[in-house]
Amino acid sequence: MTRHTLLHDILAPGGLSILFQPIFEIVDGEPLLFALEALARGPKGSNVECANVLFEYVRRKGKETEVDRACIARAVSAAAGVPGAPPISINVHASTLERDANFTGFLTETCNANGMDVSRVILEIVEQQRFRDERSFFAALGALRNLGVRIALDDIGIGYSSHRMLIEVRPELFKIDRYFVAGSAENEYSRAAIESITLLAQRLGGRVVAEGIESLSDFETVTSLGIDLVQGYYFARPSFPTSFGAPSPLFQPSAAH
Amino acid sequence: MLLVEDEPVVLAALKKYFTGEGFDVDCARELEEAEALIATTYYAVVIADLRLSGTYAVEGLTIARFIRHYSQGTRVIILTAHTAPAIQQSARAFGAEAFLPKPTPLAEIASTIDRLMGAAS
Repeated sequence: MTRHTLLHDILAPGGLSILFQPIFEIVDGEPLLFALEALARGPKGSNVECANVLFEYVRRKGKETEVDRACIARAVSAAAGVPGAPPISINVHASTLERDANFTGFLTETCNANGMDVSRVILEIVEQQRFRDERSFFAALGALRNLGVRIALDDIGIGYSSHRMLIEVRPELFKIDRYFVAGSAENEYSRAAIESITLLAQRLGGRVVAEGIESLSDFETVTSLGIDLVQGYYFARPSFPTSFGAPSPLFQPSAAH
Repeated sequence: MLLVEDEPVVLAALKKYFTGEGFDVDCARELEEAEALIATTYYAVVIADLRLSGTYAVEGLTIARFIRHYSQGTRVIILTAHTAPAIQQSARAFGAEAFLPKPTPLAEIASTIDRLMGAAS
């Protein structure tokens, strides 16, 4: 008999919940909704309710593919009815694209079943590690792009992201980790890293999203470095899909001029 | 403090006691759950059962080795009903500071923690 584990709770109906955090595009100093990032949470009250613990656990179980599929199914279902049909950014492990032979079919079927155009999907690739089968990964990327899916690389600057990965994937969106963004006004080395990533994104034909903006000074710093896609508590905390598009009261549009 | 124990009744008793002693207590019942917590949170003390799966695996030793790799400052206590000298030697080699038989009175576990914490400071 299989022992009951947290994984069973995660994959059970209602085990995962999805919050959304807006990514804003700054146009003429005003924040316009660019996309919603779907953020998974594990069963309420469990250790894996926290996303960091959830995905550490899932990776240690070697169940990235199953849980990624479950998160995507929940995210698409929750996002399908969001007014204005904004793009939805969903995290997926690089290993899932590499090993899940029918991932593209699964994503298409899931979107179709929820009446959502698959081209609304942005896939944020997380935890890029050394590939066992590089060809499968890039074949999946090609198939996804043919459907109109955009690719983002998450956690750029930390973890497993490398310049080689950036060049080979050439993501539409470069997501700079909060490590560099939060407090960047007071840290010239963080600003140097942001400038470097921004330059690389421009040369590779992508756009930069600054994650983890928590203050006006963070926001002013990244916009002064040419970044116009922003995400963080300064604008909006993750929330359930009710209404989006209105940035948090903290945000002062005049500051962006 | 992190308690790692697959037996719910034992886990609940440990949690109740150490919470009463003033510890901020997290609990895990699986190896991977414990590792995920240790990888994302600093714990001063981890008390782990030697065997978590009901098989002959010794997950408690895996946790001790994981802690030595990820969190040098964490004190590790292994609890077990299996007190074979070879396993005790392995536990020390894997980085556990104390190896206590089950059942050990809760107050004795607490005094072991005090001793280890005192030695660490």
